Amino acid sequence: MNHNIELNQVTYTYPGITTPALTDLSLAIPAGQFCAVVGPNGAGKSTLAYTLSGFIPHFYHGTLQGEVTIAGMNTRDTPLSELVLMVGLVFQNPFNQISGTKFTVREEIAFGMENLGVDRQEMINRCDDIMAKVGIRDLAQRSPLSLSGGQMQRVVIASVLAMQPQILILDEPTSQLDPIGSREVLLTIRELASTHAMTVVMIEHKLEWLAVYADRMVALADGTIIADGLPGEVLADEAVWSRGVGRTRYTQASHQARMNGLWPKGRSLAVTLEQAVAGFQAAQTTYSKKS
Amino acid sequence: MSQALSLYIARTSGVHRLHPITKLALAGLMLSGGLALPGPWLIYAFLVVVVVPLSVFGGILTALIVTTVRIVLPFAISVFLIQGFLWPGGTLLLTIGPFALKNEGLLFAIASTGRILMVVTSFLWFAFTTRPDVLMSTLTQRGFPPGLSYVIVATLQIVPRFQARATTILDAQQSRGLNIGGSLPSRARAILPLVVPLILSSLIDVEERALAIEARGFNHPGAKTSLLEAQEASWEPTARWCIAIVALAVVGLGLWLR
Repeated sequence: MNHNIELNQVTYTYPGITTPALTDLSLAIPAGQFCAVVGPNGAGKSTLAYTLSGFIPHFYHGTLQGEVTIAGMNTRDTPLSELVLMVGLVFQNPFNQISGTKFTVREEIAFGMENLGVDRQEMINRCDDIMAKVGIRDLAQRSPLSLSGGQMQRVVIASVLAMQPQILILDEPTSQLDPIGSREVLLTIRELASTHAMTVVMIEHKLEWLAVYADRMVALADGTIIADGLPGEVLADEAVWSRGVGRTRYTQASHQARMNGLWPKGRSLAVTLEQAVAGFQAAQTTYSKKS
Repeated sequence: MSQALSLYIARTSGVHRLHPITKLALAGLMLSGGLALPGPWLIYAFLVVVVVPLSVFGGILTALIVTTVRIVLPFAISVFLIQGFLWPGGTLLLTIGPFALKNEGLLFAIASTGRILMVVTSFLWFAFTTRPDVLMSTLTQRGFPPGLSYVIVATLQIVPRFQARATTILDAQQSRGLNIGGSLPSRARAILPLVVPLILSSLIDVEERALAIEARGFNHPGAKTSLLEAQEASWEPTARWCIAIVALAVVGLGLWLR
């Protein structure tokens, strides 16, 4: 299988700290996969994002052991200026990702493309296309600094997507968005990942959305991978909950129902709304037959 | 939410449509007149003949006058008082109590104010009619270091954000009982809980912003392009040479008349 991202026994320690943020971590993500990364605070999720995007070791000069290969390039040997052509990175706080030099949203979206030397007409086309996809066409002439947090985050995501990276890494990108905005952004990213065969690594706490949209889920705790599989499998794993990863409200409800003998025997715990509805319907049918 | 800070006034005038380098040349001409011509009346004549028409064509005359007066008035008053009344020797014009207004001091104050007027109006005229991001992309394309361009424009744009954060920290600390009023020692004690979080959070912001612009290819080698293209009429390069020649002539005239 063609892997876009490969981490081989990676251990990373920030400068001045003795405990590694990532410990002996190995991970391979194939091209075009939408991989969710979940875990409690301090699990090493953001460190993983920086490692995958090359900011470790080029920006954060700690101790990196092991090999990180992105789109066939070893991140240690490849300059950051080359890695950014392949990897797009979106952070949690949109205010600090706005360039601060542009007067309009359209120009803000073009900022990355200008740096890469994209042809002007191509820039205009990409701006129009991505603004329509991310649903911010009506903001085109607004000042980026006048937007709300959610609007600003969409602009940041659009500006990174406009650079057409092969790999997109998002560190809690929907933390500033309302539920509808979160869903729209996730749908957009899902669609782009499918249509452009873009590899997506998304760090996120909104487990219910990830259960629906992600192809795969990696759970981290204390800098190591504690679970890796389909979102439904990972989120229904009680051992994962105990490490502070969390669970969806549907999993909580179905688990509670199982504890009270109200969940069908042998049925997996629900992770999504549809699974919960199906499970409770099956339980109701069984109960009706018995009575 | 804060708006972008910029002196630029959006208009569709012919002056606004000029290439930024042509406007820089015109601003340079204004400066050369203000600094080279001997005072005081030639400077004001130059102001009326060059700056006023260019401001009228740019549709910014009112804004220019209002802003210039705000900036120059305090300076002008102090210069008139100090130079007019404290000029050693010279021709007496007026006596007010122990103070004597001298003709030479008054002329010097008029000339000094004229020079300051020319410096301020040339800068404001340029800033009112030129978008800084267009200027910077133009300069970058002509070999100006992009890092320096970024710092100049970003600093202006981020000031309102910094002000907003300072207000948030002030509100947060006051809500936790910090007293920012009262006596001088009490006010002094309140500075630390305001300044420390402001500086620390700004440093964190700087790191994140550095990461963000790096992630968007800021240090990518090779030529950068620009979404905004500064339009340049075919006659503008020739016009710039003419402006440069006129500016040199003004400097020469100024030196000859001294």
